[in-house]
Amino acid sequence: MRNRLMRRRTVITAVATSLLGFSSIRTAQTAQQAGMVVAASGQCFAEAGGQRRALRIDDPIYLGETVDVSAGAKLQLRMADGSIISLASGSRLKINNFGIDTVGQKRDARLTLTTGLFRAVVSPLSELSIFEVDCPAGTAEVRSTDWFMEAQPGSMRVGVLAGRVVMTSLATGRRVTIPSRWGAHLEVGLDPVPARLWRSEEFADVIARTDVS
Amino acid sequence: MNKTNLRSERHRNQRGPDWGRAHGGVAVFLTACITLFPQPAQAFVAAGDRMFPGTLILPQIAPTDEAYIQGATPFSGTPVPLDFRRTDAIWFFGKTLTEDLAIRLRDVYTRLDPPSRSSRYGWQTLTANAQYEAILDGPHEFLFSVGVDRQFGGTGKARVQPPGFSGVGATVPSVYFGKGLGDLDIGYLRPLAISGTFGYLIADKSPRPDVLMPGFAIEYSIPYLESKVRALDLPDLIRGLTPITELFLTTPAGQEHGTTTTALIAPGVSYAGEGWQFGIEAMVPVTRTTGKGLGVTAQFHVWLDYLFPNSIGRPVFSSP
Repeated sequence: MRNRLMRRRTVITAVATSLLGFSSIRTAQTAQQAGMVVAASGQCFAEAGGQRRALRIDDPIYLGETVDVSAGAKLQLRMADGSIISLASGSRLKINNFGIDTVGQKRDARLTLTTGLFRAVVSPLSELSIFEVDCPAGTAEVRSTDWFMEAQPGSMRVGVLAGRVVMTSLATGRRVTIPSRWGAHLEVGLDPVPARLWRSEEFADVIARTDVS
Repeated sequence: MNKTNLRSERHRNQRGPDWGRAHGGVAVFLTACITLFPQPAQAFVAAGDRMFPGTLILPQIAPTDEAYIQGATPFSGTPVPLDFRRTDAIWFFGKTLTEDLAIRLRDVYTRLDPPSRSSRYGWQTLTANAQYEAILDGPHEFLFSVGVDRQFGGTGKARVQPPGFSGVGATVPSVYFGKGLGDLDIGYLRPLAISGTFGYLIADKSPRPDVLMPGFAIEYSIPYLESKVRALDLPDLIRGLTPITELFLTTPAGQEHGTTTTALIAPGVSYAGEGWQFGIEAMVPVTRTTGKGLGVTAQFHVWLDYLFPNSIGRPVFSSP
């Protein structure tokens, strides 16, 4: 009798687990795909709704997920608009929105870099396109460019290899336009530090940290 | 190009400016710049988060891609008679060869207005400069450069130059430095910075004397205050300002040939926009031998590496 009860509980548990699992998979599958993994080294994860899944090459990334790159790992994503995002070790990036219109000419991409460093090669689209990344200190907005952003506790910095990036302080609303080969720094609660030329060693450092190959 | 060379000659032969006209024109120009380009400052010569604005009397302290035009109506002095009025229009162009090495050209077109006689016009001696940034310490907001100026004898017009100087070239090895105080725990004094130069002018031949030329500038950067110390709710105009005072000395070394020690102090202010800077300074002689009265100089500076980062603003030899 006890065995039968135990067996029934086990079956119910298994069915419930299957249903929950199916439900969560279904949720993930119905969520809009924002991009996919094209290169990875080390342990990388995608988190959403308290669930966490390991990432491998060709895995999709969905809206609302936070990509977590463990210490010593690196990850490269190709987004729905063709942009490439390379994440350095110890980075966390949330995909808040990544909408592309039907003809693929208008983008509304909004990301949050909680911590760490990424390089983004943003594909050129129409003037109305938005590619915006925020962090606790401020936001960086671009159209088409090859650039880096690093979020640290209390500050952020942006370096631009090609194109232009506008960095805005969340606290003061002041902004600075950063052209190619330049970079700028922003501390929480303050204006952006005036942009300056980055030296080749500074670019070499962030390139190496985000290079997945 | 070392601006100090020009000053060493300029101190001898100036007359006070037309203050009313100068103030009006400068005010209109500055207002137009700020209205058209109300963006925060950009760093032109930087060590870490410290920007060193372009100076009007002293030379730039590190290699950059830049150009400026500058006007000056210096104070009166010797040996040109005191009732002469002098006006200078200066052009300058700097080009980086590598990240650490730049060459520069500079010349001055001078107008002398003697009383009751027709004006004299002409170029001063063309000067070329090579400068190498030897030390850049971002965390300590420090940089150190070395350079050499060459004044090409015979390129200037004798009618606008002091007697004995025309046709005589000179070489000026110099060192330059900049140090911000932002790495010190001194609160609202962190926006302070000091920059300077020390040059030794070696004349090609007598009677032009050899001259020691030290100079210093002290500045308080409002952009640094707003971005590194505390964000105060200041108007846009104030946020981009850097009050600056320059001090420049010349003293003969060896044979004096009638020259004496001079000292010039130049208090003023610079406003930095996106890729440009406007600066204006008074020119005040410190000693009687330097001159009399007041002068004024104003400069409009563009930073080619910001405005044209992929073409003329890029070092000639740079990694792709």
